[in-house]
Order: sequence, then C-alpha cells, then structure tokens
Amino acid sequence: MTLFERVFNGNDAVYGLTEQAIDGAIAQYGEEKAVSFPDTAYCLPCYYAVTGVKVTTLKELKEALGVVKTLMTREKRLNDAFMSGVATALCAEFIEALKYIDGQVPYEQPLYGHLPDAVIRNLGVPLVTGDIPGVAVILGAAPTTEEAVNLVKSYQAQGILVTLVGGVCDQVAEAGMNTGDAVRVIPLGKDVTSVIHVVSVAIRAALIFGNVKPGDAAALMEYTFKRVPAFVNAFAPLDDVIVACGAGAIALGFPVITNETENIFRVPKSLIVQEDVSKFNATSLEARDIKIKITNVDIPVAFASAFEGEIIRRKEMQVEFDGSRVDCAELVQTVEASEIEDHKITVIGPEADEMELGSKNSIAYVVKVAGKNMQPDFEPVIERKFHNYINCIEGVYHTGQRDMQRIRISINAFNAGFRIRHIGEVLYTQVKNEFDAVVDKCEVVIYTDPAECTRIRHEVAVPIFNKRDDRLANLTDESVDVYYSCILCQAFSPSHVCVVTPERLGLCGAVSWLDAKATNELDPAGPCQVITKERPIDENLGSYEDVDEAVQKFSQGALEHVTLYSIMQDPMTSCGCFECICGIEPFSNGVVIANREYAGMTPLGMTFPEMASMTGGGVQTPGFMGHGKHFIASKKFMKAEGGIERIVWMPKELKEFIAEKLNKSAQELYGIENFTDMIGDETIATDPEELVAFLTEKGHPALGLEPMM
Amino acid sequence: MSEFKLTTVEEFEAATNRLLETGAKVGADSWQMRVKNQTPHCKFGEQGICCRICAMGPCRITAKAPRGICGCDAHGIVGRNYLKFTAGGAATHSDHGREICNTLYHSKPDGAYRVKDPDKLIRIAKEWGVETEGKDIYDLAHEVAYMGLEEYGKVFGYQRFLDRMPAGQKEKLIELELAPRAIDREVSSSLHTAHMGCSSLPEQLVRQSLRCGMADGWGGSMAGTEFSDVLFGTPKPIETEANLGVMKEEDVNIVVHGHDPSLSEKICDWAEDPEMIALAKSVGAKGITISGVCCTSNEVAMRRGIPMAGNFLQQENVVLTGACEAIVVDVQCIFPALGPLSKCFHTKFVTTSPIARMPDSEFIRFDAETADEKAKAIVKLAVENFKNRKPELVHIPQLKQKATVGYSLEAIVKVLDNVTNSQVDVTGTTKPLLECVTSGVIRGAVAMVGCNNPKVRPDTAHIDLMKKLIANDIIIVASGCAAQAAAKAGLMDKRAKDLCGAGLKRVCELADIPPVLHMGSCVDISRMMVLVAELAKDSGLQINQLPVVGCAPEWMSEKAVSIGNYVVATGLDTFLGVDPYVAGSTEMQYWLTEGVRQWTGSAYTVETDIDKLVDKMIERIEQKREAIGI
Repeated sequence: MTLFERVFNGNDAVYGLTEQAIDGAIAQYGEEKAVSFPDTAYCLPCYYAVTGVKVTTLKELKEALGVVKTLMTREKRLNDAFMSGVATALCAEFIEALKYIDGQVPYEQPLYGHLPDAVIRNLGVPLVTGDIPGVAVILGAAPTTEEAVNLVKSYQAQGILVTLVGGVCDQVAEAGMNTGDAVRVIPLGKDVTSVIHVVSVAIRAALIFGNVKPGDAAALMEYTFKRVPAFVNAFAPLDDVIVACGAGAIALGFPVITNETENIFRVPKSLIVQEDVSKFNATSLEARDIKIKITNVDIPVAFASAFEGEIIRRKEMQVEFDGSRVDCAELVQTVEASEIEDHKITVIGPEADEMELGSKNSIAYVVKVAGKNMQPDFEPVIERKFHNYINCIEGVYHTGQRDMQRIRISINAFNAGFRIRHIGEVLYTQVKNEFDAVVDKCEVVIYTDPAECTRIRHEVAVPIFNKRDDRLANLTDESVDVYYSCILCQAFSPSHVCVVTPERLGLCGAVSWLDAKATNELDPAGPCQVITKERPIDENLGSYEDVDEAVQKFSQGALEHVTLYSIMQDPMTSCGCFECICGIEPFSNGVVIANREYAGMTPLGMTFPEMASMTGGGVQTPGFMGHGKHFIASKKFMKAEGGIERIVWMPKELKEFIAEKLNKSAQELYGIENFTDMIGDETIATDPEELVAFLTEKGHPALGLEPMM
Repeated sequence: MSEFKLTTVEEFEAATNRLLETGAKVGADSWQMRVKNQTPHCKFGEQGICCRICAMGPCRITAKAPRGICGCDAHGIVGRNYLKFTAGGAATHSDHGREICNTLYHSKPDGAYRVKDPDKLIRIAKEWGVETEGKDIYDLAHEVAYMGLEEYGKVFGYQRFLDRMPAGQKEKLIELELAPRAIDREVSSSLHTAHMGCSSLPEQLVRQSLRCGMADGWGGSMAGTEFSDVLFGTPKPIETEANLGVMKEEDVNIVVHGHDPSLSEKICDWAEDPEMIALAKSVGAKGITISGVCCTSNEVAMRRGIPMAGNFLQQENVVLTGACEAIVVDVQCIFPALGPLSKCFHTKFVTTSPIARMPDSEFIRFDAETADEKAKAIVKLAVENFKNRKPELVHIPQLKQKATVGYSLEAIVKVLDNVTNSQVDVTGTTKPLLECVTSGVIRGAVAMVGCNNPKVRPDTAHIDLMKKLIANDIIIVASGCAAQAAAKAGLMDKRAKDLCGAGLKRVCELADIPPVLHMGSCVDISRMMVLVAELAKDSGLQINQLPVVGCAPEWMSEKAVSIGNYVVATGLDTFLGVDPYVAGSTEMQYWLTEGVRQWTGSAYTVETDIDKLVDKMIERIEQKREAIGI
C-alpha cells in the first residue's frame, strides 16, 4: 500500500467514527445543543482557523463535518494527503469537543485535555526567547516505561515543552514522574484524538501571535511550518489513523519521527524512521532544526528552563532563606577589574550542611562584575535575571527580588550534593554566558552569616537600591534622548514592533527601557535598536517622525504610524504576549483593564481571551491596546486621552498589585487620594450599568471627561 | 520585498516587438521575417522523404513514385536522413568535448587555463584507473586529457564513462550493439551506414542512430562537461538574472554567444580587469557588463553568476537593443544573420573559431596558447566601440527575473545532504530524492532540454509545460535554451515554489531550491544521465524503471536529435514537441516510438499539441510508478 493510501484509509476511518459520534450526540441532546471548549475565544479553534467559521451547536457541527468531507479528495498528490490529514485532525477536534458537551469534565489530573487560551499566551514569551526551544508531541507507548521516561526527561532537560498522548501517559504515571505545565510535561489524554489539544495550541498561536486570519488555511500552515517549532514522536505500531494524523502534522510543518519499520515510507525532514528510541531526541531536534543553547553549569543537579516553574513544598524542603523574615539581599555591583578574581566564589558563613533541616536562614549574595562596556544601569538588568537563573536549578526555588527574595533548597537536591556555593556557580556561569558583551570578569560572594547579611542588606544593598530608584524616578520619556525598538517577538508575530520608553515598558512586561538599552549594548544588531526622537509631530499623542520611520522599517511596512500615548489614534500594536489589555468602556467614558490571569467576565461583556483575540498579531485596533502591568501606573498611560483617570475597572488582584504606584501617580497628576478606591472590580460589578452606578457614587473623574469616541 | 510574478510570453513578445521597430528603422532583417519568407516549408523535406545523398537524384517519394532511383523506399530514405541528422549532432557536441580535452591538455599552473577543480580531476582519474598518488596535478591533467582525447579514436573497446551505469546496463547495451565505441568511429560509421547503397532497413538505421547518440551523451558531451568542470570549476548554486533587462545602458555591453566556455570564461576574466574597467570609464561608461546568449551563457551563469540576456531566438534582440558593443561568438547556434544585423548598428560581431566563420564579422582566432592576449583584445575592441553607439537607437527592454542556477550533480547531492538526518541517514547519495519520489511527495522528474524553434511560439511550450509539471509535483531539471526560458519566466526564482503542488513546494522549502533546477548547457545533459544512473544505483532499479522522462518541446538542431537518441538509449522516455522529419515513414515512426522500447525499455513520443504532450508525460510517469508499486 502506498503512503497516500494509508493516509486516505485512516482519514476515512476517523471520518466514519466522527459521523457516528455527532449523529449519536444529536440523537441524545438535540441539534441545538451547544458545543464548545472551555476558556477559549476561538470556539473549535482548529476548525475556526481553517475555515473561518465558528461552530457553536451540534447542528453547526454536523454542517462542519460536511465541509470536512470536501477536504477529503483522493488524487495521488501530496496536497490531497495533507488535506486528508487536516480533515483527520478536524474530525479529532469534533470528537474531543463532544466530550465537553453539557459541561462535562472529560479529563482529570494528571490528564489535561483541552488547554485554555491563557496557557498559550503564557507560552508566548518563553517560546520567542527560546526558553522553550521546541514542542514535542509524544504519541503511543514507548517499548518500555524506562525508555518513555528517559525520552520525556531528555526533552525536559532541554526546556522543550512535552505533550503526551496515548500509552506514554500511563508510562510516565507508572514511573511516578512529576507532570504538569509547571514542569513542561503535559499529558493530554489517552485517546489518539486528544492530540488535537496540542495542535489547537499551535493553531491558536497562529491566530494570537501571527495575525493569521481565520479561514486563511494557507497562511495558517505557513505560520506553523515556519514559526512553531513542534515535532511528533510516534511509537510503533502505527495504524492508518495515526499515519493520517501524521499527515496532518506534516502538513503543518511538524516532522514525525517513528520507530515503526513495517509498511512505512521515509520522507526527508518530514517522516523519519529511527529504530533506536534513545536517539529520538537528537533525531527530532535535527529534523526540526532546533538548536539547544548548551549551558553546562558545574552543579550536582540539573539546570534547565523546564524547572523554572517547579515548586518546593515545606515538607520537601531542606533549608530556606526568607527576606521577609530575616535579612537577605541580592545585588550586582560594578567594580574595577583589578578588584576581583574571575570565577572566585566565596561563602562567608555556614554552608547548607551546617544548617538545621527545615530551618529559615539569612542569605545575601553580591555578584561583582567588571568590564569595559559595563554600565551601572545594567546592574538591575542583570540582577532581575537572578530569579530565572536560580529557579532553573532542579530542586531549588526562588521568588522575589532585591532584599525580599525567598529561596528553598529541596531535600533531594541537598542529598544530591547541592550546596550554597553552587548558587554562586550558577550565577557566575549565567552572568558570563548571557552578558559576555559587558561582563569581562565576575566574582560571587555569598554571605550566610546573619550579622554579615544584616550589614550587606542595610549598609550596602539598600542604599544602592535607593539610589537606583531615584535614578528610575527621574528617568522619564522627556529625560532621555532615545527610545528603543523591541522586535524579540517577531519570530512569532512578524509585523509587531514595540517602542520601549522609560515610562512605557514592553507589553510583555519583560523589557524595560534599561533592558532594551542593555540588549542593544549586548547585541548591537539584535532585537532592540535605537530610535531617535528628534522630530516630534505631536508630543501629547507621543507621535514622532523618527518613531514612525522605525516602526515602518521594523514591521517591513506593515505599520505606518504609531503613537506612544494614545489608545485611540494609531495605538501601539501587540504581539499577543501582553500582560494586560485595556479596552474602551463607552458608558463611563473610561477604560477597562484585564490581566492575563483573570478568567472572569469584564464590564465590556468580554473575557480576557476575547479581548485578546482582537488585539494581538501586530494589528492596530483603536480603543484596544495590550500593555505591561507596570505601565498602568505610568503618567504616560493613555496620556492623550487624559491618562490614568480614565481607568474605571480592573480585576481585584491586578488593582491590588498596582495600587500603591497607581495611587501615587494619581495623586501627583490630579491630586486624587486613594484613586484605586474609585475603580471598580469583579466583586463590585461586571455589568456596565452597575459599574456606572458605582463610579457615580464614588465621583470617578472619568464620568466628567470628554467622550473618547 | 516586491511581489513575485512570472514574466509572461506576451511580455516577452511585447519587448521583442518594440525592438523590431528599431530594426525596421535601420532596415534590419529578422528571423520573424525570414520565417514568413520560408513559409510554407517544403513538404518533402518536412516529411523526410527527399533524398539527395547521391548524384542520381534528388529523389522524392510520392504515391506515384514510391521508390528512389536506387530503389530505396520512404522508410529507408527517412531513416538515412535521420541517421545523418544524428551524426551531425553527435559530431558537433563531441567536437566541443574534444576542444575542452585539448584545453585541459594545454593547461598550465601559470597559463591562461588552469585546473580549478583538482578534486574532480582526481575523481575522474581514479574512475579511469589512473594512479594519482604523488602525481603533480598538471601531469595528471595532461594524462587524463590525453586519455579523454583517445576516447575519440580508440581502436578497441567502448566509452569509458559507460562504467557509470547501473550494474548490467553496459553489458546489455554491448549485447544490443548500442554501446558506443570510439566517438569518431560512431560518427563515421553512421555516415557510412547512411551512404548510398548501405543500410535502408529502418531497424538498423535507428539502432545506429541510438549508438551514435550514445557516443555523444556518454562520450563527447560527458567529456565536455566533466573536463569543463575540472578547468573552470564544478558549478554550485549561485544567484543570477535573466532576460534582456540584464544589459545596462550606462555600461559597455559585451554579449558572449555560443557554447565553449574556454572563450567566454576568458572574456569574463578580462572584463573584470582593472585596466579594462578604467578604460571603460575613460570612454564615458560606468563599467563593463557581460551577459550571455545560448549555452555559453549557461556555462558562465552557473559558474560565475554572469546574467543571461536570452536564449536562441533572442540572439538578434541583443543587437537590436542598440546597446551591444560586441557580440562575441565561438561555435554552434549562431545565426549568420548577426553579421548583416550588426552592420545596422555600431555592434562588433566577433567570430573566434575556424569552425564557425561568417561573413560580415571580425575574425579574431582564439586558441589555448594566446587566449589571454586575444580575450583582452576583444574586450578592448568592445570598450573602444562604446563611443560609436547611436543613442537614438538605444532601447533595452526592462524585463528580467532572478534565478538561482548551478545545480551540477555534485551540487544536487550537496543540497540533498542538507535534508538528511545525521542520526539515520548517509550523505553523498541521491537517496533523499528517492525517498521523496517513493513516498509520492514528488511524483517524478522531467529533464526539460532543447532549443527554441519558430514552429512553436517561442518559450511557450517550455514555460507552459514546466508550470503544469511543477503544479503536479514533478520536479524539473533543465538545460540549454529550455533552462533559459525557465529563468526568463521566473521559474528558477526560489519563490516559484508557490506555483508548485504541495509536495514539490514542501521539497523546495526544505531543500531551499527553485522547482526548476538549472543543470547547465546542452552538453550538460550528460549530467542528467549521470544523475539518473545514480538514482538507479541508489534505488536498486534500472534507469528505465525510474519515473523520469526527458522532453524537448521546442528543439531545432541536429544536436537535439543526437541528445534524444542517447536519452532514449539510456532508458528514459523522451517527448518531442517538433517532429524530427520522420512523418513520411510509418516504419520509422514505429521504430522510434515503439520498436526501440524492446531494446532500451523506453521510446520517443512525438506530440505537437503541447497540452497533450504534458498530459502524456504525467501519464507515463504515473505508469512507471505503478509498475514499481509506488
């Protein structure tokens, strides 16, 4: 049998099953029964992306199946095989959607099934920065549990996001492996159709970040082929259904690597037979052209971005350090090259094995750096990375910053030989790796002696922090000569350009003006380029000829004009990684802000994912804008429309997070005290009329402003 | 980036019409007018039933006079004409190859010609059983060149390159008396066979035609290709541009035309010489632009990225631009019309070879010993002619397309290496291509070759066929004027992937290639023969089992018939869009389109309806796939 015949047979089989399932559901629930996946703005995302049609009821689902049938042509051409693969995937989506009918919960821990939009948005930044260098889809059962676990761990150690379908789910469970999105191992489900949940992630990424128009199947496939670094590992035996699914994967650009040798064809870079499962990893990465940044850190436990989300519970903990209870600090200090010795790591005070099991201790680490191109402005940029560096250590957990950090070392890590000096080793290696353009020499001193920690915190660190805060407070858009572009996201969102200014950080929240400056210094041809601001057009709007030119250039002509301070006129675009979205609320003349973590409804009648679906992908939607959390308190936040006094609603959690700074800005700008008390949240109202009643009662200033439209 | 769009034949023709207006102004003749004058063509000649090989005739066959004076019937007359036609082509290609061997024989470390690809020389030497260890590369070059020259007149045995065939094929060809002996012997033997009073049996005339063709494809042409690579470098992918828009109004334009890279390479060298560039500036030009016409253009495009001004039927157009300071030619496919035409403009028409001397040209005899001196003189002549331009006659049509060219077999294998996976695959083979074919991602391959011929609207057949083939996931290797038609249209731009079916498109994306691969000049069809031999060896199949066919939809020269014969004899079905003067004999038609299949497993298909021709090719490719169960 030819490869295409296998694809066609598998497609026919799945189509038959789908037809039965839909007819069965209609018989059971009636045609008008609603069909949807939870927590997505894209209905049945794959079908929506391919056809542009939103399916909401069983009747529509049945009609959609008719459309799927038209894809199932049978010429002996790859296009027919690809389309039959796509048809198979769509059938799988239909079958999976039926599982969620009537609010059923078809998947329970550790299985995930459908993944919400929020998960995809969270993946955006690590995918573009290469922290997640790829996405593995493992399908079927490995020859042995040990091989399954080894394969999954090999990807995990490289930071690759691993999704599991079928027998391998049981294999990792049997081995007692810790799974979940925090450790980047996501068991999707046991039926082969559950593979659609990862396909759905890739496809929604195209809609969210790539501005692919639903219904433009060619653009969709081009996006996934060029920009989503996914691949499939399918274990033997491969039946025709899996071969048909494989055709769908290959159509999207994802190579399939299998150990099947019977009745299989080989296609370069697309369908690769690798009989040795231990070489699946290397074969797959080469097939998808995924390069892993090798970080060899000389410590006794693993070091990989996959461990970044790992949490150490109290009972798993050997020792902890807690800046909120005892004196702690973390600090980068620029010194003269002659003052330090490269790679010297000193621990002053007791080591971990001299601390009591479960005890709370002080820690202060000072990373001294020297380099010809080093500038004090880069100190906080480097320092902010410590959280990420220390978190990537297997069995070590870090939160907070400055003198408020908290670190836990697990019993397992301790038993593996991990000690406090290894934190120094990690900091040293990573700083030298990532900041080699500015750091020539680096020495780490770690204090665990409580008295020394107190001294470092209060006499060294805090005065430096205060000085930096003063500098930051004076760092306004007016006080600097240049802004920076950031196109880090263009790998995923090809026409988006961020313009980063001191008072407006990147919408992902990860790139401040200082970060952009440092990035430009580290890699002059890299994603952050200098934008001059010599030719203002309208300073109130924040429009500049220089900015327009830069945006035109870096978006390859997709964007013509961008203003820095308006959400109505040429607002800045978003890639899709935004922390928050603000949207115009017409009843109150104000704006509503929702953050990515907020799952509920807003007074706009839209959830965050729904607002996001109109905002990402590098397009300008006047009245809607993506931004970082810290931008909310900025005096430049929609300054052209009157500024922060337009804010009428935010989720409670976000409001509390930003309250202090926002109140301060409001006080300085308008003399309003405790401005956040005037802002609604979901505990007050999610209905526009109730919201206006609340605002009226509080005397919110937005009500008295000019209408925005 | 500007949007990618193919250039249409209508646009080509509009540009040509504009140039013909200039021609009319200066009273120039054109091939378009001469075609009218020659139409209708002689029916007897067209059908191949006119015989003038002895002085008893000429004889021509009609219903009333079914035999010539000697008693030869239409089948014998058509057959003899066909064989002589073949011999003319084989002699021509092979003599080109001989010149290259001769140039290699005269190569010197400090001479005009040097060995640019010593690795390839060593590879060929080893193939021929020559000891290479510790030998000076020039001693080796001379030894191998001498052996190459001996292939033309060897007393016993068969062509050495036949050992490149898959196991058993050479022996089968020997058994069938299709294996070529000495190259010159096959040409002589053909002329002998076709002499008055020798063969009149179509079977034998066809058999000797194939054998003579094989002496070209696996002898003279292959020597020409292989030793050109040794001398001038083995082509690798390189960017260039194609169509008249490559000529630059502000520069001195020198157009090289013909076939032998020995001349064109030297002209290119001297056009880059600072002294010549300074001279060009001193006469008011910005610089010197070399562009090419016909196969010499293919040679310098694929080795140096020199742009292609056009193919065979565009040779007069380069002069009609009024901006051509010199058209420098060597051998083959050069219109004698260029002499009188050049006199209507300031253009210098420079002939260089005693093989191709023409009225109204300046003859500067070119040879290996004085190559630099002569090339410099020619470039200087052109530069000094810049001032004689008549500005009112200058018009360069602004049509051109980007092309990636230079896909020698070695380069194709390298491209294929790039899509292997080092964890499972070996490199240095054609296996990735075979995997694409056996899985069905690519349905097969077509070797598109040949000339232009006014009998076919120029370039339409090439371009239409290629467009339909790539849309059906059939990859194309092209050479000669077919390759230039593709380049002019834009089919050698990598962005042409978007015109392919999903399978070929994916292959183009993964391998970073255009869907039509430029394999070189007409002698370089030998590269295609080695490619199919490698595919057969790597797959364990015979060449005639591969889903690969050859096609020459607009052919015109004797060389093309010689090529067709060796392509068929090698095992590939060959599709012609112009009849090779055999319509007057049912038996000859039978032998060429069916009879030869019993020998080689392949045959000719002649179809002048181009739409049908392409459908027949696709059908044949699918049949071949079915036969091997893929």
